[in-house]
Amino acid sequence: MAPGKTIKAKIKKTLPVTGPQAPTVSELMHWYCMNTNTHGCRRIVVSKGRLRRFIWILLTLSAVGLILWQCAELVMFYYTASVSVTVQFQKLPFPAVTICNINPYKYSAMKEHLSELDKETKNALETLYGFSEGKSKVRRDADDWNATGSKFLEIIPLVKFEDLSKKTVTEIPSGNKRKIETSVFHQGSSMVNTGDPQDVVGFQLCDPNNSSDCAVYTFSSGVNAIQEWYKLHYMNIMAQIPLETKVNMGYSAEDLLLTCFFDGISCDTRNFTPFHHPLYGNCYTFNSGENGKVLTTSTGGSEYGLHVVLYIEEADYNPFLVTSTGAKIIVHDQHEYPFIEDIGTEIETAMATSIGMHFTRSHKLSKPYSDCTETGTDIPVANLYNKSYSLQICLHSCFQRAMVDTCGCAQYAQPLPPGAEYCNYKKYPNWMYCYYKLHEKFVKEQLGCQQICKEACSFKEWTLTTSLAQWPSSVSEDWLLRVLSWDKGQKINKMLNKTDLANLVVFYKDLNERFISENPANNIVILLSNFGGQLGLWMSCSVVCVIEIIEVFFIDSFFIVMRRRWQKAKKWWHDRKAAPAQVNAPANEGHDNPVCIDEDLPTFNTALHLPLPQENHVPRTPPPNYSTLQLDAAFTDPLPDTLEGSCH
Amino acid sequence: MNFKRYFIRVLHRLQKGPGYTYKELLVWYCDNTNTHGPKRIIREGPKKKVIWFFLTLLFASLVFWQWGILIDTYLSYSVSSSLSIGFKTMKFPAVTVCNASPYKYSKARHLLKELDELTEAALERILQSKHGDAISAPPLNSSETVSQRLDLKLWNQIPLVLIDESDPDHPVIIDLFETDQNLPSTVGSSFGILLPAVKVCSLLDLTCMYWNFTSAAQAVTEWYILQSTSILSKVPLQERIRMGYQPEDMILACLYGAEPCSYRNFTQIYHPDHGNCYIFNWGMDKEALISSNPGAEFGLKLILDISQQDYIPYLTYTAGARLMLHEQKSFPFLKDQGIYAMSGTETSIGVLVDELERMGYPYSDCTMNGSDVPVKNLYNKYNTSYSIQACLRSCFQAQMFENCGCGHYLFPLPEGVNYCNNEDDPDWAYCYSSLRSSIRHRQFCIDSCKETCNDTQYKMTISMADWPSEASEDWIFHILSYERDLSTNVTLDRNGIIKLNIYFQEYNYRTISESAATTIVWLLSSLGGQFGFWMGGSVLCLIEFGEIIIDFLWITIINIISWCKGLKQKRARAQYPDTPPTVSELVEAHTNLGFQHEDTNITPCDEVPPPGALPPEPGTPPPKYDSLRVDPRAGIDSDSDAEAS
Repeated sequence: MAPGKTIKAKIKKTLPVTGPQAPTVSELMHWYCMNTNTHGCRRIVVSKGRLRRFIWILLTLSAVGLILWQCAELVMFYYTASVSVTVQFQKLPFPAVTICNINPYKYSAMKEHLSELDKETKNALETLYGFSEGKSKVRRDADDWNATGSKFLEIIPLVKFEDLSKKTVTEIPSGNKRKIETSVFHQGSSMVNTGDPQDVVGFQLCDPNNSSDCAVYTFSSGVNAIQEWYKLHYMNIMAQIPLETKVNMGYSAEDLLLTCFFDGISCDTRNFTPFHHPLYGNCYTFNSGENGKVLTTSTGGSEYGLHVVLYIEEADYNPFLVTSTGAKIIVHDQHEYPFIEDIGTEIETAMATSIGMHFTRSHKLSKPYSDCTETGTDIPVANLYNKSYSLQICLHSCFQRAMVDTCGCAQYAQPLPPGAEYCNYKKYPNWMYCYYKLHEKFVKEQLGCQQICKEACSFKEWTLTTSLAQWPSSVSEDWLLRVLSWDKGQKINKMLNKTDLANLVVFYKDLNERFISENPANNIVILLSNFGGQLGLWMSCSVVCVIEIIEVFFIDSFFIVMRRRWQKAKKWWHDRKAAPAQVNAPANEGHDNPVCIDEDLPTFNTALHLPLPQENHVPRTPPPNYSTLQLDAAFTDPLPDTLEGSCH
Repeated sequence: MNFKRYFIRVLHRLQKGPGYTYKELLVWYCDNTNTHGPKRIIREGPKKKVIWFFLTLLFASLVFWQWGILIDTYLSYSVSSSLSIGFKTMKFPAVTVCNASPYKYSKARHLLKELDELTEAALERILQSKHGDAISAPPLNSSETVSQRLDLKLWNQIPLVLIDESDPDHPVIIDLFETDQNLPSTVGSSFGILLPAVKVCSLLDLTCMYWNFTSAAQAVTEWYILQSTSILSKVPLQERIRMGYQPEDMILACLYGAEPCSYRNFTQIYHPDHGNCYIFNWGMDKEALISSNPGAEFGLKLILDISQQDYIPYLTYTAGARLMLHEQKSFPFLKDQGIYAMSGTETSIGVLVDELERMGYPYSDCTMNGSDVPVKNLYNKYNTSYSIQACLRSCFQAQMFENCGCGHYLFPLPEGVNYCNNEDDPDWAYCYSSLRSSIRHRQFCIDSCKETCNDTQYKMTISMADWPSEASEDWIFHILSYERDLSTNVTLDRNGIIKLNIYFQEYNYRTISESAATTIVWLLSSLGGQFGFWMGGSVLCLIEFGEIIIDFLWITIINIISWCKGLKQKRARAQYPDTPPTVSELVEAHTNLGFQHEDTNITPCDEVPPPGALPPEPGTPPPKYDSLRVDPRAGIDSDSDAEAS
């Protein structure tokens, strides 16, 4: 009995005489401060003394400020990612291994297409550096060529600078000296001092429509100049040759691969998928997943990887196009395009190259966490490669598109966009000039490709540890070469030389897959609980308090202010129309009683405190209802005793 | 005694009760609880009351839902990783150096003589069959002499064959030495492309398996390995160590930082793949060496001689030193992690220690020391720590013993098991080949082995240069030859000599360490945050709520008891219709309860039934009292409404 009673009494005592419907804002505030659940506010009201009250106001305000600041921080750092690294030991998919001979096509097969160009190159070399290859044959060829005229050098003249500052040049075929007025581009001159200006060799590219618009590209070394010059012509020639012919001129899988061994089981050329690369000719991809089956490795170690012996026919190399010997390999995902020219690993002949791999998979969170793309479909650049999106693919595609737009034809090293064809100077005489200009723009990021292209969100990476050993060892060289010749000899009758062979082993060092992934560091639940923590720590507040604040500070205050305004307006109206409006006014008031506007039922309590209207028309209205009447009674004598008394 | 007292107290409580009704209790709770919502429910007007009631309900359910999510997150045991990169003084890795060839040919020749002769003859046969000639013809000419010379017993156990698959349905199989004459020699003239294969037969059920190769070189190598394994497994360990490269022959010079070291600083270990291997800084008997400076000057510099002339020609055809960096007290698995160093070059290896420190169970499924892995670690006899490679090999060896009855020569032996050889276990090659190609067995091992929690990888940046240079070649060879053999002649050459530099890079460690993303502290503070955010509650509020529930139960119990009492009284009253005690009881109860207006609820429950039973007698006082009390009740009801509004 007792607790109930006291509680009741307590409720009565604390019952709001000035409730949420308090007549004035200050009363409302007082009521709020006394009754709110947030700490601090009550202190302000309860505190005695100005200083103390001021301190409490200050503390409360700073707590509010802190909450706002901390919550703002929380919101700002909502989109952060945490990184997790998981290692899993499991059966791993073996990556695709693409192998290319560094020399794209058999030189013997290319002879008919390149003979003229080679002749001219040799002659240019002779004129430039005054040496011939010491063979009378070349000299004779040169003589022939002198008679026929220089087709290639006319299109792109090679020039040698007498004096770079004066811009006097010697044109190679004719030997004419002249002064050039055009702009000179140094390949890479921004980084490297070209040194002695007299040694500078370059070539001139002119806009055929406007012969005064020329650009001279210079190189610090003649080797680079000749190679670049040769490559330009080579691309011109290759662009005119249909793909089938090119494939036939390249190395067949049987040519390239001598032996193959994977995971303890012999494999052969059927396990390799041919793939034609514009610059590297025929390449072969092991485990390309073409038929939907990807090989897996269930044991690490060199024995269980891919063992390949490659046949590199050094004698059949193109002397000007390729200056090194060996093969190039790239380890990549089945869905990735192998950018051999960009990221290949070179394999030396007469060596065993053992490549140990570690597999790492990464995944980044896309928007809004970071600016990467999941599939590449949101990038406005059409993917020209038949493979899944990567940054490289995007950049190359973007350049190719710009090339087609600007120069009208496609660059040879990249795939063809639909409806375009490769550049050659028969059809597009100015493409080279155009290409060089465009490429320079591309490198200087003026084409916008670097801005458009985004990195891919997830990628697989194989970290390679490459080491070399001598192969075959001096004692086993004899039998090994004989047997390998027999292997080969079933097709070609020839004894192999060890400098024509390269041994390659690609294997998993261990089967641990590292998976680096970004996860959202926050989610809405954690954010809210952090909010809650902050609110609770500084002010012991909750959403309810926030609703309270909204209710009291906005809705209730608003209505109180409005009510005041209304009353003032009414009073003013009343005063003004005192005499004539006396009849109408009460009726209006009755209906537009400000209390009715309140979302709650009008209580007598509030009604009581509305000062004027009630007084004026005592005669008009009966008391609203009985219950309010009783309420009135209850509250005018706020002691519960009366109630108890009535009970008896 | 205690029990008794306790029961008395319970009885007492039952009689008195907590003193209020459900509604009162609820109101009291709402008014006094520290959670923010309920107070509003009772303090507001009727409309707001409803709003607040639903708001409170909504918030409460939100809290519970989000708690569920939080607890779920906690139970997922996620981890957060932190990465640190830099240089610190670290233990220099253990460096294992081996020769690619396990034995010196000069010392192993007597064992392998027959096999080598056989191989040579076989090669001869293979090469003769080049042009698709009938290979039956040449063997016929020389087969007698060959058979006399060669030990065909060795051959017949695991013969090398050529298969003509030009007719896929009827492949022609030609044994190189044609011991059984069943094969018609006439078919010989029409061979297409011949593919070599190794024929391994089981003598038990006479089934044979052909291990096909596309290249004769591969076939001969694999065949030779099988044969030599069988021969060498019979040789006792001491003898095998003696046949291998001795430390003083192999390690010519050693320098660690500024301190000279020699082959005596290396621990010898017999490695089945590579014969004698030497481990620097293994940390088995001494403290591991510390390196506190980056750069080649402070690393390990070695000069090795691999004497390539002494290689076994058919067994090892890659020449070089095999080396590996690994942790102290771990077994070097050179075939997996090792790299080659080429002869005639200087190989510089910059090391970055890539560590991954993981939390064990339940955060990730890894093992701290391998004690919880069901596979017996056979590498324990080297006193080395657990690693996944050791586990996989032990697992394979265990399966080998299970299926073939003997252990494979490349792996350590379990107790009481012998190595396989052709004499004792004629089936072993067949058994081994089938086991090796069995995916199921491999998967079994992968499933039963667990990775270690602390994974250390040594990332190497390898670079090479020719060494010695042509200008310095002469004197270097002279000095090294003198130091090794005390001879004035040059006993070394480019083909055998290797220089190695192993050192820490400028940044020598990259450590990824895991820590629990969700701890119990995190969970509690998040739970508190949620509860606080929506309702301003705390643990005490939960306790309050629990208290209320207990009180509810008490009230229920009391009500039931009084209802039962009421039933009894009803029966009693049926006997004595106008029993004064009822009235007095009522009055008493009334006066007691009248102190609080909400009691009205309890009164109907408690006392209205008796009046309800009474109507037959209209003149009785109780109804009067009831009606009397109706008035205040109405007043009180409206009062509580008004209170709230």
